[in-house]
Amino acid sequence: MNEQRRDILDMLAEGKITADEAERLIAALEGDRSPAAAGPAARPKGRAKYLRVVMEFVEDGEAGRLNVRAPLQLLRAGVQLAALIPPRALERANAELSKSGVPFDLTQLKPEHLGALVEHLDETVVELEMSDGHLRVYCE
Amino acid sequence: MPQLVTVRVKRPDRRRIRVWVPVLPAVLVFSPVVVLAVLGVVVACLVYRVGVARALNTGRRVVCALPGTRFDMEYSRTAVLVIIR
Repeated sequence: MNEQRRDILDMLAEGKITADEAERLIAALEGDRSPAAAGPAARPKGRAKYLRVVMEFVEDGEAGRLNVRAPLQLLRAGVQLAALIPPRALERANAELSKSGVPFDLTQLKPEHLGALVEHLDETVVELEMSDGHLRVYCE
Repeated sequence: MPQLVTVRVKRPDRRRIRVWVPVLPAVLVFSPVVVLAVLGVVVACLVYRVGVARALNTGRRVVCALPGTRFDMEYSRTAVLVIIR
């Protein structure tokens, strides 16, 4: 049994998440693993592969354009970095957040949660229109 | 695992720079630096009590997920394009 699956089952045993949430997280974990193991052909049709950030802006009368394409696989791998943050750093960050009036416990934020968030990015579109440009974030 | 990194830079004086970096040969050439970097990561993990295997595995996953990344920025007469294949 791998570590992430064990974490999910531990959270379920401790009553932190419901059985449905545990099932969704495990499904997200398996979805994360299957494309690498089975190749691109096994991926469901129409599933997003990339996160795109497209921005056009005008600054000091000069036009600018930013176009970033990041594989969602990179985001999925990146969220695992959250597990590498030392507990001491998380405690300090929690203390600073509380001081600023944001009582958020970062130690409860697990890579599985972020992974599930990335899984559901597929249909997310963020569009921001400004007087001097626009920003669009979407998956393709 | 990334195979090729392409960097294109267009400068305001219209000069263009194009660089193709084959990743594997570059890693081999810089292997002493890579070994030192890995050792540095291991020491940092031990100091901050982070799982060494987990950290290295996460790093490997991030590097392996890089192909397909594209960064393209244009401002005025300057442009930068980075493609990782």
